[in-house]
Amino acid sequence: MIAIFFDGIVQGLQLSLLAVGITLIYGLGGVLNLSHGQFAVVGGVAAALLLEAGLNPFVAALGGIAGAGILGIIVDRTLLLPAYRYRGEERLLLGLILTLGLSFLIDGYLNYKFPEFSLTFQLPVPMVEIGGIAMRTASLAASLIAIVIFAGLFAFLRLTLLGKTIRSIIENEVGAELCGIDPSRTRTVIVCLATMMAGVAGVTQGLFSSLGTEMGPEFTILGLLVAVVGGVRSINGTLAAGILLGVVNAFASRYVGAYVAYIILLSVAMATILVRPAGLLARFT
Amino acid sequence: MKKYADLVVVAVVLALVPVLAGGSPYYMRLATLALVYMAWTVAFNLIFGHTKQLFLCLGALAGSAAYMTVVFTKQLELSPWITVPIGVATAAGLGALFSYVSVLRGLGIIFLGIVTLAFSLIFHNLVLGLRQFTNGETGLVSRGLGFPLLEQPMSSYYIFLGVLLVALIVYYLLMASRMGMAVRALSDDELTAELSGINVTWYKVLAAAVASAILGLAGSLYAFYNGIVSPSVFSFVSVDIPVLIALLLGGMRTRLGPIIGAAAFAVIEELVRPFGQLNVLVYGVLLIVLFVAFREGLVPMLRKTLKLSLP
Repeated sequence: MIAIFFDGIVQGLQLSLLAVGITLIYGLGGVLNLSHGQFAVVGGVAAALLLEAGLNPFVAALGGIAGAGILGIIVDRTLLLPAYRYRGEERLLLGLILTLGLSFLIDGYLNYKFPEFSLTFQLPVPMVEIGGIAMRTASLAASLIAIVIFAGLFAFLRLTLLGKTIRSIIENEVGAELCGIDPSRTRTVIVCLATMMAGVAGVTQGLFSSLGTEMGPEFTILGLLVAVVGGVRSINGTLAAGILLGVVNAFASRYVGAYVAYIILLSVAMATILVRPAGLLARFT
Repeated sequence: MKKYADLVVVAVVLALVPVLAGGSPYYMRLATLALVYMAWTVAFNLIFGHTKQLFLCLGALAGSAAYMTVVFTKQLELSPWITVPIGVATAAGLGALFSYVSVLRGLGIIFLGIVTLAFSLIFHNLVLGLRQFTNGETGLVSRGLGFPLLEQPMSSYYIFLGVLLVALIVYYLLMASRMGMAVRALSDDELTAELSGINVTWYKVLAAAVASAILGLAGSLYAFYNGIVSPSVFSFVSVDIPVLIALLLGGMRTRLGPIIGAAAFAVIEELVRPFGQLNVLVYGVLLIVLFVAFREGLVPMLRKTLKLSLP
């Protein structure tokens, strides 16, 4: 029981890590990023290539995360420009289609170029015992990374001027612009941050088991579900929703099977949109 | 009668295609598939083009009709004359439900997109999970269950041509009726349309129901023609994306756009077939390029450059 519960929390933190990027890009840029999971895979692939080149695993992982961030900046500065020219519904639609196209582009390229790819990191100690429960070191490490990143993100948004700028744009883009904030520069920063977090999720997937090039769509969809349930503008909500859905998923997969578990997650997301579109667990950021 | 001249031209041109194919089973199959996609694109034009409802569950709607039809025919040994209407009604009911709920809850285009995408995935997982009915990933063999005419290449081509023409006629009649006017008004500005006394809810739901029925009809007949129904036949990548690209390519809110777009897409797909896996990449590039640089589509472009009065 407790083991399943912890497993759910560990999974949930990874889901939150993916979803928070979708939340940030949607809240700040007004674009629902349907290629978010593909950024995670790109990060993983970059890390694996660096690892192959003979780098230290730690450096390779950092390099992979940076790779996802760099791709994020490029995409923000080129592909998404046409979307940013519009506002509101029009921008959402254009952004949705563009990122959907991007996700196919990345998937197609990676599956073609690295068909047999998989990324795995081996940790020196496979299991540790904490309070009588045997835990995988990988799970602990991944959760620790996620917690540190979330703490950093919260501190960044609360305490720094840039963070306050970001929150002001999430509140109201036009208002922020009138106060002399340049939304496009801040947007690039946030897209870079968000895609780097996706990169972290991709690399830590390699810690748990292995990361393959075909996992992009699954990452995107799980991230999207969590972001929707958490309220697509709320970072606290996303973190809570990730942990909740992670635990639900862990129990459901254990007791009723993976297909039903997935259907439960999807139905929760559907119901959230229909009943409380602002998010089941949404509080202001 | 002049108003429908293009319908006759489409019918005649498409009816002559088997002559060009010269009886080659490979090209007959491609042409028949193109007809199925044309019918689906006509339906999507009605949903997305005219009433701005982003349905990302076209494959799931067509697939739910197909699975209903085949499973009922197989399990209850009913005649396909009964089960095909059941499948069509299922698809139409689901489409109408999504549309109604989205209007009722005031979902924007994005949230409707997410809800329907979630339905797509639910459908996919249900098919994989309900293995005793659907046979999971492998799929159900539907050969020998349906109409004998759908087992021959030539006659199935003309059956699907018939389905496409029915879809087009329904589309033309709807657009020539009060609904055409209402739909044109609401695609410009929904609030204004509502304020001028147009029942926006009714027309949106009607458009979604009719279009989903067309999706379902083509889907269930395709299931018999294909000889096997499997989740991959009706997946997001194999239905929704091609139809979206075909509609953008041909031109939204035009009569001939879906036909020309789906035909052009079939040609493109045949060209990239030798590169295997790369077709997904090509889909992505097409989607981006079309939406950024070519939002009008082929039909409006031909209108402008050749000064033709294409409908």
